[in-house]
Amino acid sequence: MASALSGSGMSLQPSVDFDTIGSWEAENVTADQVQAALSGLRRHEERAAVRTSVLTLVIVVGSTEEASEHIDVVRHLGARHPSRTLVLVLSDEEDDEESRLDATVTVCAVERAGRQIAVEEVVLECRGPARFHLDSLVLPFALPDLPVAVWLSTSLPSRGDPLLEAVDRVVVDTRVVGYQPDALSRLSALSHRVAITDLSWWRLKPWRNLFAGLFEGHLYRPFLRDVHHLEVTGHAGPRHLFAGWVMSRLDLPRSVIHLGDAEHLSVKLVASHEGRRGRFAVERKGDERVIDASVEIDDGPSFQQKVQIGEAWPSRSLADALGHMGHNQTYEAALEAALGLLH
Amino acid sequence: MSLEQAAQADTNPLADPEERPAPPAVFVIFGASGDLTSRKLMPAIERLALRRLLPPGFAVVGVARTEMTDDDFRERMKELVEKGGGGGPEVRHVWESFVGAFRYIAGAYDDPDTFERLKKVLAELDQERGTSENRLYYLATPPSTFPTVINGLHDHGLSTPSSQHAFARIVIEKPYGHDLQSALELDRVVHEAFDEKQVYRIDHYLGKETVQNVLALRFANATFEPVWNRRYIDHIQITVAESLGVEHRGTFYEQAGALRDIVQNHVMQVLAMTLMEPPVTFDADGIRDEKVKALKAVEILTPEKVKTQVVRAQYGRGWVGGAEVNGYREEEGVNPHSTTETYVAMKLKVDNWRWAGVPVYLRTGKRLPKRVTEVALQFNRVPHLPFHLKQVEDLEPDALVLRIQPDEGITLRFGAKVPGQAFRVRSVSMDFFYGAAFLEETPDAYERLLLDALIGDATLFIRSDEVQRAWRIVDPLLQAWEKDDVALAKYESGTWGPEEADQLIEADGRRWRRP
Repeated sequence: MASALSGSGMSLQPSVDFDTIGSWEAENVTADQVQAALSGLRRHEERAAVRTSVLTLVIVVGSTEEASEHIDVVRHLGARHPSRTLVLVLSDEEDDEESRLDATVTVCAVERAGRQIAVEEVVLECRGPARFHLDSLVLPFALPDLPVAVWLSTSLPSRGDPLLEAVDRVVVDTRVVGYQPDALSRLSALSHRVAITDLSWWRLKPWRNLFAGLFEGHLYRPFLRDVHHLEVTGHAGPRHLFAGWVMSRLDLPRSVIHLGDAEHLSVKLVASHEGRRGRFAVERKGDERVIDASVEIDDGPSFQQKVQIGEAWPSRSLADALGHMGHNQTYEAALEAALGLLH
Repeated sequence: MSLEQAAQADTNPLADPEERPAPPAVFVIFGASGDLTSRKLMPAIERLALRRLLPPGFAVVGVARTEMTDDDFRERMKELVEKGGGGGPEVRHVWESFVGAFRYIAGAYDDPDTFERLKKVLAELDQERGTSENRLYYLATPPSTFPTVINGLHDHGLSTPSSQHAFARIVIEKPYGHDLQSALELDRVVHEAFDEKQVYRIDHYLGKETVQNVLALRFANATFEPVWNRRYIDHIQITVAESLGVEHRGTFYEQAGALRDIVQNHVMQVLAMTLMEPPVTFDADGIRDEKVKALKAVEILTPEKVKTQVVRAQYGRGWVGGAEVNGYREEEGVNPHSTTETYVAMKLKVDNWRWAGVPVYLRTGKRLPKRVTEVALQFNRVPHLPFHLKQVEDLEPDALVLRIQPDEGITLRFGAKVPGQAFRVRSVSMDFFYGAAFLEETPDAYERLLLDALIGDATLFIRSDEVQRAWRIVDPLLQAWEKDDVALAKYESGTWGPEEADQLIEADGRRWRRP
């Protein structure tokens, strides 16, 4: 699984302080037994009994190793979005005819600003036909009245996936799946059915903000009405999303947009206003986590700004992204426009 | 919003509706060599830059009497921000591009040349840095210099925006006047130079997330508002307590006292937000109109009532948090015979449909047992308790407490059965901690308010009529105290105030909460 998270270009985050309050493990159990064990662990100690959760996070992975790596990310997340985490491990080692669940339940406390936040982790290894009815496992464990988000770190759900019926939000990463030929169109179709959180979109936020910031103020904004050239370079997926975003916001024709492959995202826009040409750029030039933004106006102001970007920890992108639970219309419009850039 | 719609609305079509970046502007700080600039303003500017909320076309001009070059100013700001925990190697790139746009003007505020040079520097920055002729002036100077600086800006044409697209705004720090008369006089000077819409009177208390949460709790929930009135509330207590003494602010405090330092601004703002009606819109005038209406309903005390409904007091020696501390009159910069109050408690009534008959008890003080700000609404007792007296002897009336600082959150106190064979009811508290549900790093109050002023959102700033109304409420107290009509009580440091304050509330059959 190291490949799943590292494939997103994210770096490892320092470990988080947490304290296991209690755990329970059993093979071949029912969902009811797991729930009873979870309640027992919470009753067992006062720290676990007091809980302030904001969501249920479901993670679907292919192996127990992947499960551990994702749980580590989520423990960091617990310090911002206290949640119940349900990890569904879809074991495909054997083609069992009988459904079977092996479970591990852990209740732990994450330390944050001197206060201990209780979080719950349920790992269910699913074998047999149960793998195709994940909704039936999600619903009993979903916290009452709170949103349910499912994080699919390396794949996209199929259209008929019953899991989609049980969740309010799907978390994906265009950077990881963007190289698949039909990824954007599948994502676009998915967005009509359920709200999507795209971790790439959140990692693009510094670029989007900085680029938008170049056009704040009456001196620069008029340039957006006459764009001649927009060049976006970067990885497949993120570069399409970024270009799609600008295209959808500015109603740009396909002909002015040029895409290219590069390790880091860079954007250059050339536009005119009242006979003067303006060049606007947002670029990350090296591995240092700094973005350069610059503006050059013929016979006008010309300046640069450097902005530091935070470490690309998976938990940070996830935590930022989970702060917003509804449909993101700007993202969905960008995705729709990005489809037009594939040809 | 399409490009065409954005053009019509004069908004940036690329701007994220959930983000609020500042427009290009020059931030001009008067009093740039002072404590407020290095402790609060520059760290706030740094954080805004790190959060990518400042555009490339942003510049800072410091104005003060101290002689410094542009480079000295840049270096000094960087050092002081680092000293306060900011800066450092990990943000060096940001500082490198950011301080290039810092300028400094050394000069006296009453010297026209200071403003001429300021005008020249602003024009240069517009040309070189693209600051779009937008200006945000910040008065971080002693209040006595406010009129001089404002007149200087006015006389040099700097108080008026240079075009319909540009803005010129001024942020004025508290204290805004030292009584009603001086506040009115300051307003006259301000309004000769600036329209009210250009004026941003700052009270950093309003920038605190938890103060804003009072509005969220009241107006985003259907649970609380229906009981937020005289039918269900017996009385309201507002406490703003500090465990610190006057520290090194003795000289300032001697002139201010608790009434001017805390009650006229912070307490009145929290009071207005507690009492106000739901606003029609959540914008600057929508909220401020309702706050003014609420303050208008607060009774203005007559001299007679000041004697019976207000307690002023001063702390003596005592123990706070295991340390023995001096009395107020022994503090540095304090007159050994001072009669300045460090504690105020009062009872006010509110004459409107919602609150008639519900007394509001306010108290604030220094050297109290702990630092706490809270609003407590105590509910009426149930009309009939169907229990034997013995069964409910531990039952207090229900209460809803909004904890503003520290441990921001909400406590609901209600009665619950004590487990066991016998039927006994006891009060229990259910606590909600904002920090346990929202673990985001919240913006500092100055960071929030500076960004608001740059964007032009005046919701969390105080309007002229609000200031006047607050002074009208506290002015009778100042007048009575000047005549020495009200005795100055004493309290031991580390206690919850003088006995007279207890008597004030106990006379109504109630008692102060122990926060």
